[in-house]
Amino acid sequence: MTINLAGGGSTPRKVRRARLIPIWALILGAFVLSLIGTSPHYIGSDSYVVGLIGKFLCFAIFALSIDLIWGFTGILSLGQAVYFGIGAYMVALSMKLNYTLENATRYGSNIPDFMEWNGLTEVPAFMAPLLSTPVAVALALAIPTLLAFIFGVITFKRHIYGVYCAVITLAEALILERFIVEYQAYTGGFNGITDYSNLRGAPFLWVIIAVTVVCLIGARALTHSRIGTVLKSIRDNDVRAEFMGYNVANYRIFVFCVSAFMAAGAGAMYAAWVGIVSFLDAGPMFSVEGVIWTAVGGRATLIGPFIGTFLVRGLEFVLSSSAWLSWLSEYWQFFMGALFIAVVLWIPDGIVGTIGNWLRKRGTGTLSQIRDDQDRLAHDRQRDWDPAGGTKPGKDPV
Amino acid sequence: MPLLEIKGLTTEVAGYKIINNLDFSVEANELRVLLGPNGAGKTTLIAMITGQFKPSAGKIYFDGRDITGWAPDEIFLAGISRKFQVPNMYETLSVYDNVMISLQGPRKVFRYMFKGVTRAENERIWEILDFVELAGKASDPADTLSHGERQWLEMGMLIASNPKLLLLDEPTTGMTEQGKQRTAQLIERIAKNHTVLLVEHDMQVVRRLGKKVTVLHQGQLLAEGPLAEVVENEMVKAVYLGKGRH
Repeated sequence: MTINLAGGGSTPRKVRRARLIPIWALILGAFVLSLIGTSPHYIGSDSYVVGLIGKFLCFAIFALSIDLIWGFTGILSLGQAVYFGIGAYMVALSMKLNYTLENATRYGSNIPDFMEWNGLTEVPAFMAPLLSTPVAVALALAIPTLLAFIFGVITFKRHIYGVYCAVITLAEALILERFIVEYQAYTGGFNGITDYSNLRGAPFLWVIIAVTVVCLIGARALTHSRIGTVLKSIRDNDVRAEFMGYNVANYRIFVFCVSAFMAAGAGAMYAAWVGIVSFLDAGPMFSVEGVIWTAVGGRATLIGPFIGTFLVRGLEFVLSSSAWLSWLSEYWQFFMGALFIAVVLWIPDGIVGTIGNWLRKRGTGTLSQIRDDQDRLAHDRQRDWDPAGGTKPGKDPV
Repeated sequence: MPLLEIKGLTTEVAGYKIINNLDFSVEANELRVLLGPNGAGKTTLIAMITGQFKPSAGKIYFDGRDITGWAPDEIFLAGISRKFQVPNMYETLSVYDNVMISLQGPRKVFRYMFKGVTRAENERIWEILDFVELAGKASDPADTLSHGERQWLEMGMLIASNPKLLLLDEPTTGMTEQGKQRTAQLIERIAKNHTVLLVEHDMQVVRRLGKKVTVLHQGQLLAEGPLAEVVENEMVKAVYLGKGRH
């Protein structure tokens, strides 16, 4: 039986809510992405800048995956590169194995050079499935997602989150980094995996753009749906959500898996595009960089991670390529730290978030402010009305 | 058979018994007021019922089931909604979304994927927003509301969840006299077809409701009955006026 609310004649009204895909975003997005997609034709297919653009798009998807868990659900992960890294290594290993089948090493064997240096004479049996590209891609996506699921079950189900969760994810990244360096016969160790025929030029750039669009629309649909509202409610107040019947741990595990899947996809494309993968791409430093890009662009906005990534990485590129300022790039890490502190202090909502706040404030600045004030006055007058006929407050024995 | 039945409940923290061997029950469709001085264990009792803390001993039965030791979300699904002492909501979500998230319905992750709000749900949300007089602020984030409005929003959220038992922990705190009266009226309307357990300090409100009260003191049941009787009880007077017993 529902609570009977007297009145009955209430008419449903509209609540201000953004469209799933706003028209302006569609037009602007299509314009920017087609500009990026056609860039090989006017910059030159082998150009360094085109290489950078594809790389930055992969990084931006990685930042978007951090935004999903951090910005929308309030889980700060300092080990998101683990999922990116595993995705990247799976694809890099697959491409390397296939490459060496056709191109023998200096000593004439058909196994990757790092295996040869470490005394292996043939590809280990557990790596053989990676020779098939579809299997490699499937594993690149499935292993990180499964790992994220296991991680989620052992932490979120035990009510571990916040700072403790951040520390555990950081440890996760450190462990994977050590693992890659130690098991160099299988991972290439310090040198990483390189010298394989990576995919360059317009065709694969379009693949990256397509995946970007799918990720953006998917993330938008997710955060815009009811489950997205639940995720935000968990970010705002997980205790209230729990007492409203939501199994908070399950929601956290779910979004963590989606995020790991996205990061793994970005890593897989990154390895195929750039042609070199190293332990740094799976380590804590790269994870923290992703967090910084997200913070700079704007947490809990979908376009923020893209703007943050392109701005910060673009700035790094400009600094290092300029004759005048290249000495500054030696201190790049220092700049990153300073930038992060500045963002947290002055624009905690990031670039996109701050612009959004400013627009909203301006939107209710003049006419609508007056209208709101009138509404409020009418509302307050109604509130003052005393239905009980005024019981005088008096002293009470109890 | 009572809707909520508590048997021999004990909560011990660092050797101190916050709730001490408490027996207590609430009948279906009853509006019960819980009284007691500070530290009597009222909020702790509510925390026990909703699964926030686990009792050291004793049993809690709800709707014929033993819910002792259940998790908060399971207890919610069994039919108990709780309003916190300090208004507790989703600060950055709009008033509308706060109510929407609280609606009775599926709570499982995959039942919720990409699902929108149905027409019936939308109508229900506006009905509730009208009821708690927040329809004019439906699009505003919850953190822009005043304290009294927040109290009402949380009550709206509870109404939306349509529970069998509502636990209201001091819903009139921080309100003006008019606000308190109107809140009392709201509680009366909710109580028409729902079971309510109300913790309340304001005697004007308790008197107005005029229902059976239970007085707790040092984690034990001190007195139970209509307000007029309880007020005359010697032990209650002693506790509140600080004579004897100590």
